[in-house]
Amino acid sequence: MKKRTALALFPVLLLTTVPVFAHSPIMGIGGVTGGILHALLIPEHGMSLLALGLALGQLEKSERRTGILIFVAALTCALVAAAFAVGEALAADVLLATTGILGLLIVTLWTPAYLVWALAAIVGMTIGLDSRPEVASNGEVIQMLLGSGLGAAICLAIVAEVSFLLRSNAQRIVARVVGSWITAIAILVLSLRIVTQMTVG
Amino acid sequence: MSAFASAPAFAHSEQGAAIDFWGGFTHPIFGLDHVIAMVAVGLWGAFLGPPAIWLLPVVFPLVMAVAGALGVLGMPLHGVETGIALSAIMLGAMVAGAVKPPLWIAAVLVGAFAVFHGYAHGAELPVGADAIAFSMGFVIATGMLHLCGIAFGALSHWREGRIAVRVAGVVIALIGLGYLTGFA
Repeated sequence: MKKRTALALFPVLLLTTVPVFAHSPIMGIGGVTGGILHALLIPEHGMSLLALGLALGQLEKSERRTGILIFVAALTCALVAAAFAVGEALAADVLLATTGILGLLIVTLWTPAYLVWALAAIVGMTIGLDSRPEVASNGEVIQMLLGSGLGAAICLAIVAEVSFLLRSNAQRIVARVVGSWITAIAILVLSLRIVTQMTVG
Repeated sequence: MSAFASAPAFAHSEQGAAIDFWGGFTHPIFGLDHVIAMVAVGLWGAFLGPPAIWLLPVVFPLVMAVAGALGVLGMPLHGVETGIALSAIMLGAMVAGAVKPPLWIAAVLVGAFAVFHGYAHGAELPVGADAIAFSMGFVIATGMLHLCGIAFGALSHWREGRIAVRVAGVVIALIGLGYLTGFA
């Protein structure tokens, strides 16, 4: 696949996500597979993984891989916590805010490694805490959380490595535009959520 | 890909307006005053060339989203409709006149007009919408309108195309004038 085609697929992948269904398991698909799909089909998670991947893609190899490892470590800790039903009340909102910041970093192409690593840790933590499926059996929960972790880690690694390869001038412009869209979406969603919470309670 | 991009049409507000991805996507498209201004941003960016060709379409959604958030939160802003009409007039005039100001002036101008468009959209956003899907559709549609402007503006590489683009600027400015005076 040509590099430009691959980069053009990013917004298309964004389009192919479907609305979140309040963490209900995907009908008919459970276990690890359900977890992987769960991780990829939640738009907030997909968007944050895209943003983090694009930001990591601006770093050199060792820094990028360190960032991915930090994400995986934070994600693992959070998934373990989620398995013990640790609260997730603010996780989705923090994830959105972090995604918005990552979008701004991509727009400016200002991606200091320590900042991206810190954001990778926050994204990993919040995705993990926001991934607990609403199913009855503990065994099923653990399998789905395992799948969610695998799906998120693989997705991030792919986006980060592909975006590292796509760093020509034109491709960086596409990344900036996608970054601005990500930030704009995050701002709008956060404001809509705030108003909804204020209205509905 | 279009088939994959479709979302189930089950989320509707009480007023009948869709509040899912498709609802967000069509929201900016069904207002001519918004459409011409966003296309004008792309046209002007293409006219100005790099880096304005990508900087203006980056500035617009960012400022629009912040203003949209103010609209969603119900903060007051006066003269929104006038600002939207003026945006079409000014941006259309810039394209028609092939005006090439310094980049920062173009960015500030586009950002200032994005405030009115963002606020108007934000104030109309349905509370209780599927926020993420709606916002994704909304922002992507806005970006697509900019891309339409850029694509048409790319014609300005040729002499005849340059004339066509400037004529489009005149048309946009006239429609904006129609909105300002109440004829449109």
